[in-house]
Order: sequence, then C-alpha cells, then structure tokens
Amino acid sequence: MTDTDTPAPERSSAGSYRLTEDIAAGLFLFFVSAFFIWKAWELPLGSLRAMGPGMLPMSISVILGVGGFLLALSAFVKGGNIITMPHVRGLFFILGGIVLFGLCIRSLGLVVAGPVSMIFASFATNEVRPTEAVIFACAMTAFCIILFKYALGLPIPVVAFI
Amino acid sequence: MDLMNNLALGFGVAFTVQNLFLCFIGCMIGTLVGVLPGVGPVATIAMLLPITFGLDPTGALIMLAGIYYGAQYGGSTTAILVNIPGEATSVVTTLDGHQMAKQGRAGAALGIAALGSFFAGCVATVFIAAMGKPLTKLAQLFGPAEYFSLMVMGLVFSTVLARGSIFKALLMVFLGLLLATVGTDLETGQERMTLGIQQLSDGVDFAPLAMGIFGFAEIIRNLESPEARDVVRGKIGKLMPSWAEIKQSTPPVLRGTFIGGLLGILPGNGAVLGPFASYTIEKKIAKDSSRFGKGAIEGVAGPEAANNAGAQTAFIPLLTLGIPPNAVMALMVGAMTIHGIIPGPQVMTKNPDLFWGMIASMWIGNAMLVIINLPLVGMWVKLLKVPYRLMFPAILIFCCIGIYSINNSVEDVYFTGFFALVGYVLIKLGFEPAPMLLGFVLGKLMEEKLRQALILSRGSFMTFVERPVSGVLLAIAVIMLVVALLPSINKKRDAVFQE
Repeated sequence: MTDTDTPAPERSSAGSYRLTEDIAAGLFLFFVSAFFIWKAWELPLGSLRAMGPGMLPMSISVILGVGGFLLALSAFVKGGNIITMPHVRGLFFILGGIVLFGLCIRSLGLVVAGPVSMIFASFATNEVRPTEAVIFACAMTAFCIILFKYALGLPIPVVAFI
Repeated sequence: MDLMNNLALGFGVAFTVQNLFLCFIGCMIGTLVGVLPGVGPVATIAMLLPITFGLDPTGALIMLAGIYYGAQYGGSTTAILVNIPGEATSVVTTLDGHQMAKQGRAGAALGIAALGSFFAGCVATVFIAAMGKPLTKLAQLFGPAEYFSLMVMGLVFSTVLARGSIFKALLMVFLGLLLATVGTDLETGQERMTLGIQQLSDGVDFAPLAMGIFGFAEIIRNLESPEARDVVRGKIGKLMPSWAEIKQSTPPVLRGTFIGGLLGILPGNGAVLGPFASYTIEKKIAKDSSRFGKGAIEGVAGPEAANNAGAQTAFIPLLTLGIPPNAVMALMVGAMTIHGIIPGPQVMTKNPDLFWGMIASMWIGNAMLVIINLPLVGMWVKLLKVPYRLMFPAILIFCCIGIYSINNSVEDVYFTGFFALVGYVLIKLGFEPAPMLLGFVLGKLMEEKLRQALILSRGSFMTFVERPVSGVLLAIAVIMLVVALLPSINKKRDAVFQE
C-alpha cells in the first residue's frame, strides 16, 4: 500500500524521553531475544565441529538482542519518528473474528462459524452497516459452503451441532 | 534438439483439458487478487493449498504458478486505473500509468502493460527452459558450503531491497532465522523451544505465519489508514496502443525483460527490484526525462515487462537448486512436498513432465492473461468499486477456511491469529516483514547446510571463504551490503523507494 498521503509523522529530537518507533522496535527485539535465550538455555551447545541443538538458537538470539539494543540506543541518541497509537478497534475485532471462527468451527460447523466470525469482524471499521454486514455474512457463508464443501470437496464441518 | 523435445513434452502435458482448465483458473484467481489491493498472492496461495491436495502435482503447481504471475498482470490494472499498486511489484506503474489514465489514455496504458508483460513472459519461459539444464548441472557441483553462501547472499539481497533501514531489515532476517529453529532438532531429535506445544514440535508452520502476516496483519493495517480510491471515471479508451506508441515502447520492453529476468533469478525476491531498476534506466536514457511522471509510456512498458519477467525467472532457483527465492516460492515448496516431490536439481530428471509441463503452462497462461486482462478489464474495474468494509470480512472467512483445512486443525487458526498480532506489531514498529519471512523460509535449510559444511571442514569457518564458488558468493553479498550502506547510494536508495 502507498503511504504517500499520510501526514508526516511527528519527530522527536535527540535524547528526548518520548517513545520513538525505533526505541520501541529495539526493545521489542531485545525482549524477544531474551525470551528465546531463556527457552534455549538448557539445550546443549555442542562445538563448531559438531553443533548441538542449542548452538544456532543461542547465537542468533544473542545477535538479535545485541542488534535490538543497538537499534534502541542509536534511536535514543538520534531521535526519530514518534510511535503512533495502534488501531485497537481493528486489532480487537479482526483477532476476535479469527478466535470465534476457531471456537465455533469444530463444535458448531461452518453454518455458525461463518456468519458469527464475519459479523463480528465487520465491526473492525467505523463504516460498518450492521444490516448489510449480516446479510453479506450469511450470503458469503452459503457461497463458501457450496464452493469449499461441495465444489472442492474439503472436509470442513458444515453442520456439527445436530 | 533436446530443448525442442522437452518443450514438446511440456506442451503435451500442459495441453490436456484438465491442465488447461487449472491454468485458466489460476490465471483468473491471480488476476483477481492482483487487481484487489490488500490481497496478495502469498495469502491466496496459502489459502488455496488445501484445494491442491486432491489434484495431481503437475496440475496443482500449474494452478499455483498461474496465481503468482497472474497477479503481476492484475496488479498493473489497479496501478493504472486507481493509482494504488495492486501488488508490490506494480508500485512503479502508478507513476506514469495513472497519469496516462488521467489524460484519457488508460486503454493504451493497459494495452502496453499487458502486451509488454506478455512479451516478457514468453521470453522468460524460453529462458527458464534453456537455463534449466545448465543450472541443474551447476547445482550438482554445489556442496553444503556453496548452498549456505548462496542463501546468505539471498538474504543480504532481500535486506538491501527492503524499504526503510537496512539494519532493521537485517534484524528481521535474524528474527526469521530464529523462528525457523523452533521445533525438533534435525540431528539429535531434541525438541527446541517448543514451549510444550505439541504442534510446534514439527516447527512453526509456514502457512499460518505467512497468512497471519500477509493476510490478517495487512487487513488491520489497511483499516487503520483508509485509502482514497479515485477510480478513473470516464472512458478507458481504445485498448490497442497506436503504432507510434508501440514503436516507442519496444526498446523499454526489451530492456525491462532483460533486467527483470536477470534480477528475478537472484534469491532474495529480486522480482521486486526489476521494475524499479527498469524505471530508473528508462528515465536516465530518455531524451527528455521530464516527461516521466507525466504519462510517459516508456515508464509503463519497461517496468511492466520487468516485473513479469522477474516473476517467472524466480522459478529458476526453486526448480534447479531447491532454494525458494521468495515467500510465494516457499509455498510452492510446500505444495510440492505434500505430493512427495522434493524441489531441487532432481526434479528435472525424476519428474520431467512436471518440470516441462509447468514451463509450457506458463507460456499458455501468459497468452490467457492477455485475454483475461484486456477485453475483460471492465469487469475488474467494477470489482474495484466493492467497498473495503465488505471486502475484508470476505478475505477473513476465506483465510480462516483455508488455514483450517490445511491440517483440519483449529490450533492452526489460533496460530494464524497470533502471527497476525505479531505482524501488526512489526508493521507498527516500522519493520518490513518480507525479509523475516525469507529468513524463516531459508532457515532450516541453512542450518542443515551450515552444520554439514562445518562437519566436513572440522569446525573451520574458513571453508566458506576458501572454496572458490562459496567465497565469490559471500564476496558478492559483502560488496552489496557495503555499497548499499555507502551514504551516497543510501540516499539514492531512499529516493528510489520514495518515488
């Protein structure tokens, strides 16, 4: 997607205490790396001649952690783009839709999982029109059942609750 | 002639009713996802993987390949008519293509884009057919050290191509490599970092990862910044470019095909670079470079040829070396292994009908695409008018059904949701996800080759430098990285990506 029309992001000057994109990015990687180091701690490292299972996870994690630290440090020194707020609404309804699908598909089948997850996800945008969303979700589900179950023969549960 | 015999075999395979039909379906779907911004071939192919289980491997790959290069055609339609790149490879086409459309020359732009792509596709097909054999021979000379160095080069290449900071892209590669180490260790059978989750003992699955990041995270990102779609109203105009325009476009198409085809072979998603390189060159050598950005037909013809050529030559590393150069090709690996075919130099000898059939189908597919795209352009334009508030729930349900069906696994659906969250966080933090995906794709193979090479060299890293082919590959990687990091080039690179 293009990002030409978005307004220029707010910038922080050097050494300020506001959270910039790169400081957050560096810290994120630093914590990811710490997590993997913790998990890989018990794996035997082996030697270069005969590497153990832990050698690569450990060394890559260390590189990642150091890299993340350097990224955050340099961003702190140089300043950068202030991080923007995440789109909570989109995150909540899209991830929620996925989880609902997962919860319903086995126990209730596509007949329920389809409309439920689609209608829920529709609310991810403020342009949502509830009636339209309901009709569209039901029509789409019918289409999916015909296409995937009957035309393509995927073993997906359609009606599981009877 | 050996090549002729092989191509004849290929056309024999591709011209069966079933394979022609699958090729057509692939091209249709490819055009569809190409036209629609926000749905790419990666998510689509991941979604359609389960459908290919029931097909024979040749048919399955013919269809999946069609989706990939079909998307290159479709992407340009959106770029020209709506000023939004339908695909990452058609970013450059928006510059002059949309200007042409505004001047009422949309038809000519669409026409030259399709014809240029068709020409490039034909040349690339022949190129793959001709290069297949020598490269396969070369691949047999490759030891573990050479494989490892080649993949290092590919990863470096992908960081240089990523938008934004090279350092951040490099970190993404390492994150991808790290994710690839999750799962059972290849040699000792010990479980690594599986957190006690049973599904993870086979490692992180590629399809949920790819779909989470390129399907769902992308939806959330799109919802965040609603795009203004100014579909060109008014007439599209004559689809056939005039004779003068064709004459004007011929040299750019030839150059674009050459550049795109060459860059496409390189592991590390070279296909994305092709259009940029082509546009820059056309602008440099034009007599009057001020016309560019104001509807110069060369600025459409060259890059369009380049992206299609690159999309097709990207199959070369996969079919000859077994190395997937980008995320789409990694899914192809998945589709092949499901059918018991291990990608690599042996494909050509063990499954000649698959190899040549797929190549022949590319030519047929390209011919179909010209028809799908030109006379039917009105249909695609209508599709672009479907509002995003309806589009994204539909994408969501397709993705969910697809991901569930791969293993009939609810856990995979949740994994996809988790990776959607991760992908969104990465986007928010200004990371480009493509290098991470490539790191992940190559991770397992790289670890295997690294360990093998070090066993052979008794633990000495010098083997990578001392072996000539491996040394050269690493040297290229280093030079590329250094050049890209030079301040003057780095500024230029920013400028290219900003255009």
